[in-house]
Amino acid sequence: MADLGRAALVVSLGLAVYATVAGAVAARANRRRLADSARNALIACFGSTAVASAVLVVALLRHDFTFTYVAAHTNRDLPALYTLSAFWGGQEGSLLLWLLVLSAYGALAVAVNRRLLRDLVAWVVPVIGGIATFFALVLVAVSSPFETQTRAVDGAGLTPSLQNPYMVAHPPLLYLGYVGLAVPFAFAAGALLAGRTDERWIVATRRWTLAAWAFLGVGQLLGAHWAYVEVGWGGYYAWDPVENAALMPWLAATAFLHSVMVQERKGMLKVWNMVLVALAFELSVFGTFLTRSGVVNSIHSFAKSPIGSWFLGFVVLSSLFSVALILWRLPLLRARTRLESALSREATFLYNNLLLVALCLTILWGVMFPILTEAVRGETRTMGRPYFDFFLRSFGLPLLLLMGIGPLVAWRRTSARTLARTLRWPIATALATGLLLVALGAGSSRAGLIAYTFSAFVLASIVVELVRGTRVTGSLFELVARNRRRYGGYVVHASVVLLAIGVAGSSAYASERDRKLSPGESVSVAGYTLAYRGLTTHPGANATEVRAVLDVSGRGDGTLRTGVNRYGAGDQPTSREVGIQTNWLRGEDLYVIADQIDKDGSVYFKVLVKPLVNLIWIAGFLFVGGALVALWPDAREQRRLATRLALARA
Amino acid sequence: MARSTRSPARLVIALSVAAVLAVFLLYTSIAGGSKAQVTPSTLAGHSGDVSLTGKVVGRPHGDAHSARGLRFHMRDIKGGSETSVAVAFRGTVPDLFKSGRDVVVEGQLRNGVFEANSLVTKCPSKYAPATSNQT
Repeated sequence: MADLGRAALVVSLGLAVYATVAGAVAARANRRRLADSARNALIACFGSTAVASAVLVVALLRHDFTFTYVAAHTNRDLPALYTLSAFWGGQEGSLLLWLLVLSAYGALAVAVNRRLLRDLVAWVVPVIGGIATFFALVLVAVSSPFETQTRAVDGAGLTPSLQNPYMVAHPPLLYLGYVGLAVPFAFAAGALLAGRTDERWIVATRRWTLAAWAFLGVGQLLGAHWAYVEVGWGGYYAWDPVENAALMPWLAATAFLHSVMVQERKGMLKVWNMVLVALAFELSVFGTFLTRSGVVNSIHSFAKSPIGSWFLGFVVLSSLFSVALILWRLPLLRARTRLESALSREATFLYNNLLLVALCLTILWGVMFPILTEAVRGETRTMGRPYFDFFLRSFGLPLLLLMGIGPLVAWRRTSARTLARTLRWPIATALATGLLLVALGAGSSRAGLIAYTFSAFVLASIVVELVRGTRVTGSLFELVARNRRRYGGYVVHASVVLLAIGVAGSSAYASERDRKLSPGESVSVAGYTLAYRGLTTHPGANATEVRAVLDVSGRGDGTLRTGVNRYGAGDQPTSREVGIQTNWLRGEDLYVIADQIDKDGSVYFKVLVKPLVNLIWIAGFLFVGGALVALWPDAREQRRLATRLALARA
Repeated sequence: MARSTRSPARLVIALSVAAVLAVFLLYTSIAGGSKAQVTPSTLAGHSGDVSLTGKVVGRPHGDAHSARGLRFHMRDIKGGSETSVAVAFRGTVPDLFKSGRDVVVEGQLRNGVFEANSLVTKCPSKYAPATSNQT
């Protein structure tokens, strides 16, 4: 069966090479039949990659330990769901998933746009083909999931902390995001190669970009929630290079989603948009390089493997290709109009973009700092949490403020007086909120207080905008239906506000206490009293569950269980299982870690009270809702699009 | 006349970028925030707070919640050096911590013992290449 998988990958490689070469020749010589053939090769590449993927899935489900990959990442005791998730749990399988998603996206994108954007798609095919060629080549020549060995009795299994439903969904969602950014990149490169630098490529890829960006955002939130409930340190984001690898392309894509609106409306920022879409794609590949090369020290102990240099080579080559293309087509990328005023909607988009890119690049600097200091000073130095937190506050808080100002500023220009009048309600709301919070004692954290005040400002500006719009249309539903993209965007803004409130509350106003308790003893933290009743032991699905039982009183009530899962005896792995009691009304968590369980039944508890932390997870649902509203098919928009494309053709 | 009708975009961009760079340079050059990343064989000579990466060797002993803390030794992950550093750690011990694991500790060397205030066990890789008897 491994032979079938290997053969399917070789076919994928051949088809991707053909799509690249034949596609480029066809586009250059304007040979229509050859272009159709290249496009069909790209679609067929998806088919052969799907066959290879099916072979791996069958091998995993049949526990075929003649596959080295299956033996290294699963064992017979592993539940079926986690056995299936081992598909992307190892290096070779995750690369196969990259190629599968890329070829699926590529096939769909060119099939959907083949008639409307024929001249552009002719160049998109070789670009996607080129990216697919790289991944297929790595899979065939360097890192194949179809290596075989003498059949093993059992496999190595999966790390206990990864045996979590979040880990089933988190990696593929990130891949859908990472790989999805290849589509707008390919259309941008296709537009440059074809010399068609009007807005058509942006309009055609808007939903692709939005979907990739939403997948990346949701994937990161799921990862954060996994860290919170499973890793057991009480946090959800550690600024680890691997976490940052997903955040950076997301920030670049966020900037791109905003700046394309300026290009669509005003014909400005054409070069900037090309740079942003290339940056987002390069960062997504760079993230894959970071996670595979072991070049940066990370808590995710990614082994140094030969594919690190392959990815670095690909990032360098594709970056040079992008820069060369943009420089070549610079004369075609001149703006139709100019920025008329620093107080205009387009200017606020520009400020927003600069802050997002600045945040992205400072994170990149922090990630690369150890490599740079090693090269320059001969000593490796790392940037810690204070560095990243500082820049998150420095760029994040002004970004939050801009989210409230931008939507209320007119296009072209506005006066300071008009702006002040428009913003009077949001400003009044923010000031009242700030004063109220100071009176309630929230002034202990300046950053927290600013974040809450700005959040109130943004929420008030969204409400003002909705009230203003509803007065015109007569109903909120009609208002949203008229411009789903805009109002979906506002819902996403509201989710970012909730996220900011949750992050500020759970980090700036959290309480923590460590205490060793014997049965019958209790501890009090931030109004909660926890009385330790004793230990219980139960056999679980594939582990023995040891739990400390605590009675909660005071601000909460009920029983809370925390402890460890022991997978086998002796030196076998254990995983800490945190106890969390949620108060949805306050959005607060009582979070208890059984840090150390002693033989006499006493336990070292770490107790944390995290105000408003649940707003972060609620923000995730709102984020998805907003993205769906913006993505939903819109007949009015389709008509606008058709008119715009007709104008562009003319 | 021509000057007054020119777009302020370039000025806005230039000023914004300059401001961002100024904040950035001030922070990284004055406030610092970086930490030397060393291995057991390169630890000697570093007096301040450092980040030490290595492999746990021997059997860890002691109690991470006692005054003496959890005690263990670390060596270079790559091997090639016999240098071993004694480490004392007080706090939460990660689930995956055990002899043979790669860990990152932060703290400083005092009287021949590395006093760690943070201990992170590297997660056994999801992306490590599969290694076995390949045919």
